[in-house]
Amino acid sequence: MIRMFHVFKTFPNKIHALWDVNIHIKKGEFVFLVGPTGAGKTTFLKLIYRGMLPSKGQVIVDGVNLARLKTSLVPYLRREIGVVFQDFKLLYDRNVFENVAFSLRVVGTKNAIIRQEVNNILNIIGLYHKKNTNPHLLSGGEQQKLCIARAVVSHPLILLTDEPTGNLDPETSWDIMKLLFKINIWGTTVIMASHDKLMVDKAQKRVVRIERGEVASDTQKGIYS
Amino acid sequence: MLRNMFFYIKEAFLSTKKNGIMSFATIISLTATLIIVGMFLLISLNINLFLNEIESQLVAIAYLKDDISEEDINKLVQDTSELQGVKDVRYISKEEAFQRLREDLSEHEDMLAGIPENPLPASIEILVTETDFLEEIAFQLNQYKGIEEVNYGGQLTKNLILVFDFVRNTGLAIISLLIFISVLIMVSVIKISVHSRHEEIEIMSLVGATSWFIRWPFIIEGFLKGLFSSFLAVIVLIKGYLYYMEKIRIILPFLNISSDQIILIRIAVIIILSGVFIGIFGSMISLRKIRYEEL
Repeated sequence: MIRMFHVFKTFPNKIHALWDVNIHIKKGEFVFLVGPTGAGKTTFLKLIYRGMLPSKGQVIVDGVNLARLKTSLVPYLRREIGVVFQDFKLLYDRNVFENVAFSLRVVGTKNAIIRQEVNNILNIIGLYHKKNTNPHLLSGGEQQKLCIARAVVSHPLILLTDEPTGNLDPETSWDIMKLLFKINIWGTTVIMASHDKLMVDKAQKRVVRIERGEVASDTQKGIYS
Repeated sequence: MLRNMFFYIKEAFLSTKKNGIMSFATIISLTATLIIVGMFLLISLNINLFLNEIESQLVAIAYLKDDISEEDINKLVQDTSELQGVKDVRYISKEEAFQRLREDLSEHEDMLAGIPENPLPASIEILVTETDFLEEIAFQLNQYKGIEEVNYGGQLTKNLILVFDFVRNTGLAIISLLIFISVLIMVSVIKISVHSRHEEIEIMSLVGATSWFIRWPFIIEGFLKGLFSSFLAVIVLIKGYLYYMEKIRIILPFLNISSDQIILIRIAVIIILSGVFIGIFGSMISLRKIRYEEL
C-alpha cells in the first residue's frame, strides 16, 4: 500500500527531517510510528498524503508515484487517505453532523448518502446523540473521535493519525485506540504516530521507530523502546 | 453541479457574515468607486452631446452691405458654395432676419415696438464641415466688396473642444485608476476572507476538495459584493442625476442635458458589469494558487 525508497527530506533551513528512509507498509496493516518529538514522524505522514514532497527518493501510495502525481490530481489521492491531527482542526462554526458531512460535501456526495453515512459513523463513535451539538462543547476525547469520524466517513484506504491520544487520559486514549483497531479491521491501513508508550505496548502491533530522521528499528508486535 | 452550487452559495454567505465589518467596508468603498466612475460617465456623455451639437453648428456668417445688388448676392452664394469645407450656404434676407429676431423675442415683443425700421443686415450663413476650414473661408469672403463683416465662433469652438477633450481624457485616466484601486481593495479583502477561513480551506484540501471547489465560494462572494455595490451605486447615481438635472435645467436652460432613458440604462449596465467584474477579478487574483503542500 505504501512504499518509500531512499527517501530524504531536507528543509530550506538545512535541517534533515528524514534520512534515507526505506519502508513497506502492506494493505490492512496497523503501524505505530514512534520516536522523540522532532524525529520526523509528522514529516513521514505528510509525505504519504503529499502534504510535502521528498527532497530525494520515491514515495509510492496505492501504486502511484507521488512525485509524478500532477497537482490537479492531488485531491483524488487525498480522498483515499484520512488524516487526523493532534490539534483536531474542527470547524467550530458548524455542528457535529456538519463537521463530518463536510468531507463528503466537498467531494460532491448526494445529500441522502451524506445523511446515511454520517449518521452511521456517528453511531459507531458514539456521538449520534450529540449530532446537533457544537464541537467546542465536546470533551477532548469526543472531539478526537469526531476527527476520526470525519477522516473515515468516506471509507479511505489509509488512515494517518498524528498523536491522536497525545492530550487524553489513558482511559479515553484506549477508547480511541479501540476505535482505530475497529477501523483497521474493516480493511483500512492505519498509521499512528505516537509517543504514548502505554498504548503502544498494550496494542502489540508493528512498531517503526524513527530517530533523527532515520528508521532506527522496525519490529512486528513491538514495544515502544 | 446544482448541489455543489448550493454549497458554494451557502459558504459565500457564511463567509460574508463572518467578516461582517470587512464586507461592509468593501461594499462601501466599491460603491463609492462605482459612483465616481458613473459620474464621469455621465459628465463625459453630456460633453459628447454638447460637442456634437456645436460641431453640427459650425457656422460662419457674412453680413452683407445694404447696397449690394441681387446679382452680386447670387454670385456670392454660388462662389461660396464652391469653397473647400463648405457644407451648405443659405441667404438670409433682411426681412427674414427680422422675422427670426421677432420669433426669438416673441415673449418680449414690446422691445421691438420702438424700432422704426428693420435695422438688421442681410447675410449669408455658411455651414462648415470642420473648424479647421473656418479661418480660410472667412479670409476668402472678406475679399468681396459687398461684404460688411464675417463672423465665426472658430477660436472659441476650437478651445471648447480642446478643453472638453482634456476633461474626457483625464476622466478616463481617473476611472482606470479608480478601477485599479478597487480591484486592489477587493483583492485584500478576499485575502483577509481567505485567511480567516484558512482552517476550512486546509480541511477542504485535506479531504480532497479540488482547487476549483475551494475557489468557487470566494468567487461567488466577490460576485455578490460587486453586484450589491453596483446596484447601490446605480440607485444613487440615477436618483442624484435626475435631481441635479432638473436643477441645472432651471439655472442653465440653454444646456442640452441628456435624460434619454436608454442611455441611462446603458450606463447602469456598464456600472453593474464593472462592479461584477471587479468583484470576480479581485477574488480570482487573490486565489490564484491553492497550495496543497508545504515546501
